[in-house]
Amino acid sequence: MQTLISHSERDYILRGVESNLRADGRGRLDYRQVTFETGVISQCSGSARCRLGEGTDVLVGVKVEIGQIEFDGAEEVVGSKKAKWGRVVCNVECSPIASRQFAGRGAEDYNNELTQIMELIFNGPQAGIDLEKLCIVPGDKCWVVYVDALVLDYAGNILDTIFLTTRAALYNTRVPKTVVQEVEGMMEIEVLDDVQEAERIVGWEQIPIAVTLNKIGSRHVIDATPLEELATEAKLLVSVNKRGKICGIQKSGEGSIEPSLLNEMIQKILEALDVRLQQEEEVLANSSRGGAEVGQINIQKLGFFAAT
Amino acid sequence: MNIEFLFPRTESKERHEHDVEMLEADLEEEDLKREVLTSLNSSDAFLMVTPGQRITSDPQFMKGHGTYHLPPDSMLSAVAGIVEPVNKLILVRPLHTRYTGDIGDLVIGRITEVTQKRWKVDLNSRQDGVLQLSSINLPGGVQRRKTEEDELQMRKFFIEGDLLVAEIHAFFQDGAANLHTRNSKYGKLRNGSFINVPPPLVQRCKTHFHTLPCGIDVILGLNGYIWPIDDSTREKIARVCNCINALSQNFVYINDTAIIYAYDASLKFHVRELRRLDVIDEIMSIVVAKVASSKTGFFQ
Repeated sequence: MQTLISHSERDYILRGVESNLRADGRGRLDYRQVTFETGVISQCSGSARCRLGEGTDVLVGVKVEIGQIEFDGAEEVVGSKKAKWGRVVCNVECSPIASRQFAGRGAEDYNNELTQIMELIFNGPQAGIDLEKLCIVPGDKCWVVYVDALVLDYAGNILDTIFLTTRAALYNTRVPKTVVQEVEGMMEIEVLDDVQEAERIVGWEQIPIAVTLNKIGSRHVIDATPLEELATEAKLLVSVNKRGKICGIQKSGEGSIEPSLLNEMIQKILEALDVRLQQEEEVLANSSRGGAEVGQINIQKLGFFAAT
Repeated sequence: MNIEFLFPRTESKERHEHDVEMLEADLEEEDLKREVLTSLNSSDAFLMVTPGQRITSDPQFMKGHGTYHLPPDSMLSAVAGIVEPVNKLILVRPLHTRYTGDIGDLVIGRITEVTQKRWKVDLNSRQDGVLQLSSINLPGGVQRRKTEEDELQMRKFFIEGDLLVAEIHAFFQDGAANLHTRNSKYGKLRNGSFINVPPPLVQRCKTHFHTLPCGIDVILGLNGYIWPIDDSTREKIARVCNCINALSQNFVYINDTAIIYAYDASLKFHVRELRRLDVIDEIMSIVVAKVASSKTGFFQ
């Protein structure tokens, strides 16, 4: 991907957005087709891969591991609550093969930025995950949910894809059962190997997804291509769960968003998200039965690293 | 991790027709290839390798492009690609390549830097090309020596990010391409859309400026950058763009005929639907059939 855009291209995109016909024939609020695949990596507790059209390709692996509860340094009220909480740790990495701009150390800052946004939304009660259920021994041991996203191919709109894939991967995740015994004053944790006994993460229904709106000119588009992202003045990411509650908002880019436009944009995102969440849910529910297609989302066995 | 490669499957019927058409010499060559591949322990018609993978340790084979020697006797692959044996020589054809230019190639480039008396141009190549101030035509077709004054206002001609169409004039010692735009056909690009496809898909033709029957002008850069132009209808440009994208996704050679076939096949769909994978499949099956039945112009 280049980081430069010519004046005539910017102008072309601007006029396209204005007339509701973008460079690839989509309208302002049209998403590209989404293809899902769950359970791609057998070593993970849960995994999913998602592609936008034939472009952006994201692989998310979720691994649950027993770790230390973190509540030091927090105030007493918060600390006592946190002592009963499990944790979610996110990490995003853009593979250098995804795009030329990620080669060398080019992706470092971008990886950090993406990881920060993921952490902001997933590590806390707003993520919908029942953190108390992840606790094994209060004040000592808990399940740590490691969410690792790998961007395999880049054709714009990485963040939305990462959120969509993460939700699918967490849906796919199974947490092993544990038995806690007190032996001579020490807590001993036994992890049951039985796969049948393993359970879904409690509260997965309320895990949010996100939609980014790109402000181009005085209007905004969904699911931008790399060139459109270059012509974008400001971006607004809104993350919403199934109940329609906003779980996080992030504004990026150099431009500004007027308050009246901000409201309009959030409203647009909420509408778009409502549809997407329903579609994703339906698709995931059908995923165990092989292929499924709902609206713009379909689920398909791509084969890991499959050629197009 | 268990990595499995899925290969595009050719249908047995097509395969048969293809075999019949093949000259006997080709068949022999194919047999020879098969034999070598079998001796390399590949059960398929392909042998796909990843960087560092051992291809063979048999000393009778010679190292070609994309391979390297690991003492005492191993030949390893340097790239991810497909093994291509030519008699005893073994090459690996990479899956993903940068553009390697030739003198006289028509390319589309993007200005990345403005320096002393020259512009640096991104060509999707290993290194940026160079466009010297002395190798452009001044606006208005004026013919004169470039002065210091021109040097000071280079950004008036091309600024960082600008797209231009040019021809490769020569190569420098270090391998960088020296471009020129000394022709009225060349110069800055306006009123159109930019598409990026794998460079090997664009074939060398007599001309790379095409006017499609639908009224769109297309410039096919040999470096894989493509620029459809039209003054009036965005929808047509979008349709052409989507068709070219569909062709490149299916690894079909991109030339004017293929674009016209794809465009005609796409007409029964709304331009918005052209990004749907099933629609692309349907269009491409028509195009591939048409291309196969009229081989002229595709395999020169």
